[in-house]
Amino acid sequence: MFGVLVVHVAILYFLFSFSTEVIVYDALISTIIMAASIWGIILLVRAYPTNVAVTVYALFVALFISSVTVFAQYEVLKWWMDEPAYYGYYSWLSQTLPVRFLAVWMFATWVATISAFRKNLAALDSRFQQQTDAAALLREAELFKLRQQLQPHFLYNSLNSINALIMIAPPRAQEMIGKLSDFLRSSVKRESDDVIPIEDELNYIGSYLAIESVRFGDRLKVVYNHKGIEGTTIPPFLLQPILENAIRFGLYGNTGTVEITVHIQQMPGMLELTVTNPYDPDIQPSRGTGFGLKGIQRRLYLLYARNDLLDTHKDGRIFTTILKIPQHHVQSRSDR
Amino acid sequence: MYKVVLIDDEALARQLIAAHLQSYSNIQIVAQCGDGFEGFKAIQQHEPDLIFLDIQMPRLNGFEMLELLDNKPSVIFTTAFDEYAVKAFEAHAVDYLLKPVVKDRFDKAMDKWLQSAATRQASATNVAPLLENNIYEGYQHRVVVKDNGLIRIIPAADIHYIEADDDYVRIVTKNGAYLKKSTLSHIEQTLDPQQFVRVHRSYLVPVNQLLRIEPYEKESHIALLQCGAKVMVSKTGMARLKTLLGW
Repeated sequence: MFGVLVVHVAILYFLFSFSTEVIVYDALISTIIMAASIWGIILLVRAYPTNVAVTVYALFVALFISSVTVFAQYEVLKWWMDEPAYYGYYSWLSQTLPVRFLAVWMFATWVATISAFRKNLAALDSRFQQQTDAAALLREAELFKLRQQLQPHFLYNSLNSINALIMIAPPRAQEMIGKLSDFLRSSVKRESDDVIPIEDELNYIGSYLAIESVRFGDRLKVVYNHKGIEGTTIPPFLLQPILENAIRFGLYGNTGTVEITVHIQQMPGMLELTVTNPYDPDIQPSRGTGFGLKGIQRRLYLLYARNDLLDTHKDGRIFTTILKIPQHHVQSRSDR
Repeated sequence: MYKVVLIDDEALARQLIAAHLQSYSNIQIVAQCGDGFEGFKAIQQHEPDLIFLDIQMPRLNGFEMLELLDNKPSVIFTTAFDEYAVKAFEAHAVDYLLKPVVKDRFDKAMDKWLQSAATRQASATNVAPLLENNIYEGYQHRVVVKDNGLIRIIPAADIHYIEADDDYVRIVTKNGAYLKKSTLSHIEQTLDPQQFVRVHRSYLVPVNQLLRIEPYEKESHIALLQCGAKVMVSKTGMARLKTLLGW
């Protein structure tokens, strides 16, 4: 505003030969009124309830306010300088009205446009924020749901086994309850972790397999093979559903002993987990195949935004599932 | 004395039922089986009055096994899954026990069955309607048939076409044709509708078998299949094909 004042004074001083008194009055009064108008414009634009056509609204406000401003300036100046000495100034004032209006109008338009633009930007920003928040929430919810999917029928079947053991071998029932509790405890405890050390996951798998081997007895045999995987990490609950899938696939396709192998190795920047199970190509499981794998695929996508981390292939009578876990990416995600 | 067969792939689950049955003096367990094949054999051999049947089992599942039986015994399902439309079942099967199977609930199921057995209510009729409903979760990728007393599992991909034949359906595959006591509508319900199309009242055809379709008579067509066979395509069949293939 001070700048406007200076410019105003300069114009009056250099272009027109008025007394200093007139120049000061004119400049001060004009500038004060204009400052009030500009402030009014900003308030009016901010108070506009929506963002629909806010720019058009701002332009109208600018036009209206600048007309009022010039009219006010004219009336106030006329009233303030109502003395015979200023009569020359009077006619000059009326002549310069269009120029004054033009100057005020341009300035008002500029201010109004900027206010409207800012308002739009703020709205856009908050909407964007809202959407990001919603997406993050949705992602969390989905991940939570996917982690939950493994439980129910496994739990019911385990309880059924315990039920049987209570009647035929009570000490073993107690043992089984212990194993099931271990499994459930570690499921609950790790709920919120993004990634966990591979050793923890293997312990968890151990308690899971302990239960499965009570249920299926000699029919199930799991062979591990892993070296040099210390310090690697894996998102929880990914390996277990793959194993569950392999066991189900294997057991439902065969009647004898079923051997599942788990091979884990470290690749550059990757942890690679390979699970194999026998399967009968002629006897395709009749329901729910790939349910577990689809869930895993989805989780991998939500965690890493990649679709190439899970791979399966059939080779004769062996079904292989390969899971890849990026090792660096995970770390950077956790400090999100 | 009633004869009972237990069919479940988990030994402990069978032992649990056996333990629950100990308090019934008029029940004799004649066989325990770990999958549908064994169950099928045992049922033919022993002709039991009642079976306890798990649904998810190796090789042949519980439903497929029931389908193959000509003389169906009374069935009490035992499963951890309640997705198989529990309520619909309870009307048809003797009962549907959810695992874990506890004694109270088990006794109720047995009471129900013993009452119906005492009044000599034909038990076979109980299961039949259940098999007509759409009981499978998801579609089957195979059809199970009996072939000279043997059970044969036909992968859906091997099927050339399926033809209605009185009370039977004739399933023509790359290895020959098999008869199965069923209806074309029932088979149609169990197979994936994206792959199998009912092109005619009497024909169900896999889409990937279609080679060419030619006009035949007024409003009807004839389809030439990759195996060389020709099947009739009705007006509605043609409409179904058009929607499915987006012609």
